[in-house]
Amino acid sequence: MTADKEKRRAISREAARRRRRVESDVFGDLSQLLPLQPSVRANLDKPSVIRLTLSYIRMHTLLKGSAGLKAQTSHTVRYGQVLEGGEERQMHDGGRDKEEKGTEEVEVSEETNMYLRIMEGFLMVLSTEGDMIYLSDNVSKYMGLTQAELMGHNIFEFTHPCDHEEIRNNLRLTAEQVWSGAKRDFVMRIKSALTHRGRSANLKSATWKVLHCQGRAKVCVTPSSVSCLLLTCQPLPLSHTLLSTHTFTSQHSMDMRFTYCDQRVTLLLGYSPQELLGRSIYDLCHTLDIKCLTKNHLNLCLKSQSVSGQYRMLVRGGGYVWVESHSAVIPSVKPSKSRPGAHQPLCILCVTYVLSGVEEPSLQLSLDQTLNRYLS
Amino acid sequence: MSAGGSEGTADRTADPAAEEKGQASQAGPSLPAVELPRKRKGVVEEKSDTHVQQSIDFQMEDELSRSEAEDQQVKMKCFREPHRQIEKRRRDKMNNLIDELSAMIPACQPMARKLDKLTVLRKAVQHLKALKGTSGAFSDTTYKPSILPHDDLRHLLLRAADSFLLVVSCDRAKILFISESVSKILNFSRLELTGQSLFDFIHPKDINKVKEQLSSSELFPRQRLIDAATGAQVPADTPVRVSHLSTGARRSFFCRMKHSRVTGKHEDKRSLPSTSKKKDTYRYCTLHCTGYMRSWPSSQLDSEGDAEKEPSNLTCLVMVCRLHPHVSHHPSKDINVKPTEFVTRCAIDGKFIYVDQQATTVIGFLPQEVLGTSCYEYFHQDDLQHLAEKHRQVLRNKEKIETQCYKFKTKYGSYVSLQSQWFSFTNPWTKEVEFIVSLNRVISGPGHTKDEEEAGGSKALQEDIKQIPVIPGLSSGLGPMIYAGSIGTQIANELIDSYRMNSSPSSGSSSPFGTAQEKCPLVSPKTSRSASSREDTAGSSSQSQSDSKTTAGGAASGSTGEPSQLDLDNMVVPGLSSFSNDEAAMAVIMSLLETDVNMGQSGDFEDLHWPF
Repeated sequence: MTADKEKRRAISREAARRRRRVESDVFGDLSQLLPLQPSVRANLDKPSVIRLTLSYIRMHTLLKGSAGLKAQTSHTVRYGQVLEGGEERQMHDGGRDKEEKGTEEVEVSEETNMYLRIMEGFLMVLSTEGDMIYLSDNVSKYMGLTQAELMGHNIFEFTHPCDHEEIRNNLRLTAEQVWSGAKRDFVMRIKSALTHRGRSANLKSATWKVLHCQGRAKVCVTPSSVSCLLLTCQPLPLSHTLLSTHTFTSQHSMDMRFTYCDQRVTLLLGYSPQELLGRSIYDLCHTLDIKCLTKNHLNLCLKSQSVSGQYRMLVRGGGYVWVESHSAVIPSVKPSKSRPGAHQPLCILCVTYVLSGVEEPSLQLSLDQTLNRYLS
Repeated sequence: MSAGGSEGTADRTADPAAEEKGQASQAGPSLPAVELPRKRKGVVEEKSDTHVQQSIDFQMEDELSRSEAEDQQVKMKCFREPHRQIEKRRRDKMNNLIDELSAMIPACQPMARKLDKLTVLRKAVQHLKALKGTSGAFSDTTYKPSILPHDDLRHLLLRAADSFLLVVSCDRAKILFISESVSKILNFSRLELTGQSLFDFIHPKDINKVKEQLSSSELFPRQRLIDAATGAQVPADTPVRVSHLSTGARRSFFCRMKHSRVTGKHEDKRSLPSTSKKKDTYRYCTLHCTGYMRSWPSSQLDSEGDAEKEPSNLTCLVMVCRLHPHVSHHPSKDINVKPTEFVTRCAIDGKFIYVDQQATTVIGFLPQEVLGTSCYEYFHQDDLQHLAEKHRQVLRNKEKIETQCYKFKTKYGSYVSLQSQWFSFTNPWTKEVEFIVSLNRVISGPGHTKDEEEAGGSKALQEDIKQIPVIPGLSSGLGPMIYAGSIGTQIANELIDSYRMNSSPSSGSSSPFGTAQEKCPLVSPKTSRSASSREDTAGSSSQSQSDSKTTAGGAASGSTGEPSQLDLDNMVVPGLSSFSNDEAAMAVIMSLLETDVNMGQSGDFEDLHWPF
């Protein structure tokens, strides 16, 4: 009885082994077909292979659709420049030899590399469910995980739970928005497995990194309507190169009241730094931009860094200027080694870029301006 | 890597486990335990460290699922139970992936039943082969392969970022290189721009700014490093500065560049932003430029055959210019910012003494336009009753009072639905209510269309006018205001009187006259604006006896006989018990005569509105 059982078990074991071998072979074939660097290919496990295959197919579908549209409106043909979309290139490449193509590709790749480097960020293509269909390979510099490890996974696995709601809202695309290429601009926190010194660590010891994501929706028509979000993700810099004019720094308490302001604000907005101390930034801006300021403030409180987008600051005596602020929450006192666990008081540091000149200098938008104009 | 690796290992072991044991793992304790290590050894491709990882996982799982595990078998069972959970999860993941894959592959689509794993994989291989066939021979280039061809990557980058690459020389701001995408953004073709001076395209006011940025002197840029040390929220790692370029000085600034109005061949013209300022019939768009300074030996650059280039290093600014959206794009339900709320403070008679700046976005009036006016002037007629009741309540209670939804008249005549929380602030020393704080929230609901509101508003207005008898010397438009303003006054006076009542030893907590008050109509046709204004200047908590007395009298006069009698009784101001009721009545009648006289002066009505 048992011998029979044993025999059956042995057969099934053999069968299983064979099946597994066949399966591994197919996986091997699949990974060979993916355009990957050999080092990357060797380290792939089965789910990763499938994920990368999925990404590859999805990206191909996405771009193929748009390339078709591009062919109709392409104006680059005249200049014989490098064309957009792999397929199109096929059509016009007839007479060129491989070497030329190769050089061109090198140029294009250099250009894209330069883009990514200068932009100090990576590209992410998100499906409407949040799957990271594609990530540019420099993502490893920012997240510590490689492109192959991340592609195909869902973004909700890597972002802060409190930001999920916002991300979901941003992923929500109506048909009209998709067709008009609706833009997106938001801040989210993502896991980063980078250590202090920039080395990759285990995901389990990941810290949160604040990313500024900007981009737009993209749709591809054929074969089936697929829409996704193209985003460039840039970690918000904590250091800024400042030059003498058109920017000023300020420090605020957590309720956005000024606690310090740069001298340069006088040239740009007319206020002296002393005048501003204790005043809330909400009082100094155009009423209609309050939503923008609120969002900025909330981002700061929740995520510790933010980019405000354009808003108007009132100039002393009348009028306003368009500005944009990049802010971060920092400890207001230098943390002391003696009390490491103590709760640090926090403050907000803002770098404000002035984008325009003074607009409508005689327009009075607040009582304050009137008082300043006529009484002082 | 670790996550992926351990998945794979367990995956392999999961398969035989599934195939041999089926769903249950009761097929003898010894067999699976023996098989697992052997199968793991048989796997060639896996890295050895995944074993360690996996065992750590198991231990963790052990801890976690110890409560779930049944305590029959000792170690084996405890080991297998969590293991089974992990395996199941991984199997499910794999199955999901296979399903997704089959959804993506056209060949798998028309199948009625679900295909098995191997078939799907085989079809995927075929599909990939087919794809590669059509899209060129990048698979076998000597150049670095990437999952996305660089062309496509560039296209995506540009599409996502609305940007172009720009290289300008630092000495003369000559545009040395500009990428093709500029045509989409500025509507100038690449050829038109290359070789030109950048300053020709920059807004005149920004030229100085750009000049500064181009100055390649290392002395100028003041690096302001924000201390990102161990704050509670800021991650501990310092910003990872990856400077690949030799001279790494970073530049980041905003500037406005010209863009051509000529409608090009682009269909998305409307995606171009609006301008900041129209100047010389050119339109400008704001760009955010970030980049690095870079030195190049001039021979490398593809100049227009300028022979007299210096052989020395050419410093350039290499940057990406990104179109800056005019307004930040917020999807509708962006973050859970509460619906617009604003705070107002009123004196106890309902006159605004402080209005939040945000109120303007809701009610249309600037704060200075409503200060000093009674909130009742803006309430819809239907809501007056219940709001007056709440007003009374809040003056007497210490807690927050919630109003129901009510309509508030905006500057434009329409109504906006609000709901408020009121609470009173009491002066701790005098124990009197100083003011009422109101937190107002905008309620947007069904059926609150502008038309409806306007129709309702105008209807209410007419009704108001109808109810009030015509007052000599006043235009009918002001009728409802007068009518409304007095309500607050009335309620305030009740409070004042209750203080007075309370200050005397025999008084109860609530005024016995309260119930009687409710019966009396709140309308007081003879109340004049000037009376209210006098009240205003007097202030609700002022101790100016005669003023309050007279105005209170003025408010109450003209109503039906009995209540007015009661009102007169309450006319005495706190702390002035020396006044008898008779004297008070006399004073009231005097004031009536006064107010009659004053009503002719319509100039008073203007006092309360700021000259805007």
